Amino acid sequence: MLVWSRSGRAGVWALGAVLIGVIYGAPLVVILLASFAGHWNGVWPSDFTLRHYAAAFEGSSADQLRASVFTGIAASAAALVIGTWAAIAIRSVRPIARRFLDLFFFVPSAVPSVSVGLGLLVAFSRPPFLLNGTTSIVIIAHLILVSAFTYGSVSAGLARLAPEYEQVAESLGARPGYRLRHVTLPLIMPHLVAAFSLSFALSMGELGATIMVYPPGWVTLPVGIFALTDRGAIFDGAALTMLLIVTTLVVLIVLPRLAQRGR
Amino acid sequence: MASVAAEAGRTGPRLPATIWVVPPVLVIGALFVYPLSLIVREAFSGGTSGFSLATFGDVLRTTAFQRAFLNTIEIAAASSAGCVALGFVIALILAFVPFPGSRAVARVIETYIALPTFLAALAFTFLYGSAGILNEILMQFLGTKLPPVDFLYSPAGVILAEVTVYMPFVMRPLLAAFSTIDAAQIEVASSLGARPFRIVRQVILPAALPALLAGGSLCLLLTVNEFGIVLFIGAKGVITLPLLVYDKAIQEFNYTMACVIAVINVVLSLSLYSIYRLLLVRFGGRCAGLV
Amino acid sequence: MSVATDTAGAATAASAASVAAASSNISFDDVTVAYRGNAVLKSFSLEVAPGEILALIGPSGSGKTTALRAVAGFVRPVAGRIRIGGEDVTDLPPYARGLGMVVQNYALFPHMRVDENVAFGLRAQRAARDVIAGRVRECLRVVGMLDYVSRYPRELSGGQQQRVAIARALAIQPRVLLLDEPLSALDAQIRRSMVEELAKLHRDLPGLTVLYVTHDQSEALTLADRIAIMRDGRLNAFGPSRQLYRRPPNRFAAEFLGRANLLPVRLESSDPRSGQSRVRFGDAALVAQTGSHMAVNEECLLCIRPHDLVLEESSFGINIVTGTVESVLWQGDLHSVTLVARGERIRLGMPPFGEPPRLGASLRVRFAPEDAVLIANPAANG
Repeated sequence: MLVWSRSGRAGVWALGAVLIGVIYGAPLVVILLASFAGHWNGVWPSDFTLRHYAAAFEGSSADQLRASVFTGIAASAAALVIGTWAAIAIRSVRPIARRFLDLFFFVPSAVPSVSVGLGLLVAFSRPPFLLNGTTSIVIIAHLILVSAFTYGSVSAGLARLAPEYEQVAESLGARPGYRLRHVTLPLIMPHLVAAFSLSFALSMGELGATIMVYPPGWVTLPVGIFALTDRGAIFDGAALTMLLIVTTLVVLIVLPRLAQRGR
Repeated sequence: MASVAAEAGRTGPRLPATIWVVPPVLVIGALFVYPLSLIVREAFSGGTSGFSLATFGDVLRTTAFQRAFLNTIEIAAASSAGCVALGFVIALILAFVPFPGSRAVARVIETYIALPTFLAALAFTFLYGSAGILNEILMQFLGTKLPPVDFLYSPAGVILAEVTVYMPFVMRPLLAAFSTIDAAQIEVASSLGARPFRIVRQVILPAALPALLAGGSLCLLLTVNEFGIVLFIGAKGVITLPLLVYDKAIQEFNYTMACVIAVINVVLSLSLYSIYRLLLVRFGGRCAGLV
Repeated sequence: MSVATDTAGAATAASAASVAAASSNISFDDVTVAYRGNAVLKSFSLEVAPGEILALIGPSGSGKTTALRAVAGFVRPVAGRIRIGGEDVTDLPPYARGLGMVVQNYALFPHMRVDENVAFGLRAQRAARDVIAGRVRECLRVVGMLDYVSRYPRELSGGQQQRVAIARALAIQPRVLLLDEPLSALDAQIRRSMVEELAKLHRDLPGLTVLYVTHDQSEALTLADRIAIMRDGRLNAFGPSRQLYRRPPNRFAAEFLGRANLLPVRLESSDPRSGQSRVRFGDAALVAQTGSHMAVNEECLLCIRPHDLVLEESSFGINIVTGTVESVLWQGDLHSVTLVARGERIRLGMPPFGEPPRLGASLRVRFAPEDAVLIANPAANG
């Protein structure tokens, strides 16, 4: 407790409430309001309606939601495999090479997503790898961008795992593969689930790389939301954004809970 | 049984376990390093075969590039400074002047990390746009016909949105660092008569400095790379490097120029990332949990 | 453990015998282990006999845990060989060594029930299903945990987790059992009863070779047939527990294993037949066991355990030392008295006094020649 006086504390709390309320509360509230708004001419919106949500669940918006969820699941699952694999394999590498490889697996998160998209566009628009205009180039872009997060999350989990578990397993006669499947992976399962849900959330919101590579038939939600707001349909955009937020939060909050209950 | 296992352990030459790291390296290499290397080749060949710095020079001379470069630096620096300041204040309140539910508030703010960044830009049009809540209130209040507040479609709007979105990257390591400060230290300091500001300056700030530096440098990197917010705010005068890459490649189909700009952008980002990693190494794993 | 309750005694002893595999010895042959160029185990040689409990003790950093980890296969020696039951295991991976191991925090797999934990090693080695079921029951019965088969580790107390960890190690019929500070995570009271239970377990499994690493000398004295004391990566002293305690070969061993009074004395004469020597402590002549070879007039140390000193009324007789009382501390079951005699502190463990001696009072104590041993004084002789 840093501030002891009652009035001092009240002042600090008031400041905190204003800062947090204006900066973090207000944005979510106005998007929620806008998603139900029929008109917004004065200070507050009027003629509340479910029209924008109805629109979100039909036609191209529904396709976008489907595309985003599918891309998110596919890219996160693939990134989870690659990141977990890398995090486990890197443990048997010598320290100096290990530091270098660690950097290598983290770097995709440090490069601007637009450049990642541009790179994929340049690399896979020509034979022998012609992926331009396919769904897979979108998934690859997402996979690259989230792989560093899965790698980092699983690495953190492994670093926190007491080495005795694996050593005891090994002394009891468990070979590396058996040990991995029956001891290491089950023990870091919470981190695997967390890695997957964070990857999914990031993939759902990805815009920079997607907008560079997406084919006309595979528009993701953020791209669709941008198209809507760009042509002035901001309430429809707000409704789709709410949908995006809710989907993301559900996966982010519910999945780890489910995994925990299964234990 | 033990001796059976012992014999089985000896059969066949075993590959070193290090070999297992090869597959993920190949995947990242093929899908990330190889495309980036093609961008670099494209940038330095100027669309022809062979090495040429011609396009590079041309791009560097354009005012569009120069303005984008300056905008990027300016916006990133201002946003990161804002993130550090706001993050420090909010973390300070949450950690040292806690109120019922302050943990939940911290968690809600942290979830912003996982939400799309353009969310802030979109919300700001409703809040601070020319027909936004703030302007409507002020117009009713002041009785003017024109919106009095007009900062959204300028660098300031982008900066405010980026501060909102990236502040949690400073707050999170700060809260972790604050939790390692012994509460007794602060109690002893205040029992010795130190005022809150003095305690913040002499006890809390030194302990939080590594986290502050690491969080700040991470913000610098992320704000240099930010795309969604700039695109959504869509102000004519506010073009950054990532947006310029997009414009050149997708709107103008000028891939060579896009590649040149992308190379410069990537080099800038990787330099900032190196600084961030060096800070992490220097201060140990205390800021772990960030990428 | 319920094993050893009198009624079940005979039956469980029979089934317990099958828990252990044929006994094997462990031998360290000139083993050196280095981390980043720093040798933590230096030309270490030691032989653990089949069926014995050998305690490896020493201060932290003395290399005792490294020695155990070298047997388990988690560290690779840079030189020397390790053999188990005569087989050279130095180059074998840990999973091929057939050892049971119990570590300080037990490392019970938290996502597995008790029976799954115990079955782990057998499943990993693809034993037949009915064999696994039988052995799991048998091992859990040996440690008295049959009633807890379907619990998860987090639902067990520290002592119970400890027993499951032992059952898990025994289930694979290990050639040897490695115990790495197995009791240090328990609180003092449970630790004492676990020591007794471990002793009982070894009585039921007499063929089981146990290498027991601990920093607690009382655990080692209670459990071990022989004790090896380590210091700075080397073997400092080694011998049957009782002998090592009664006749420590050097100062470090004397002070590490129990408490010891070490009085600087000068050797006057030795009698090789009786194995006793006369020494001079100031103007008093004392008689003690000779210990290692020493020359006449050599400065050496007389080692007496605090509880081997008794109060003496008369001033006549041998081995009587007079001192003034410096401090008296009551420790519940005994009084710890410190005397000062000729500038040297002498500690005594006395049964509780009705009326403790006053500070500054003069007190005479006596010890039997068999209870004192001479050891070299490295400080006096360079």
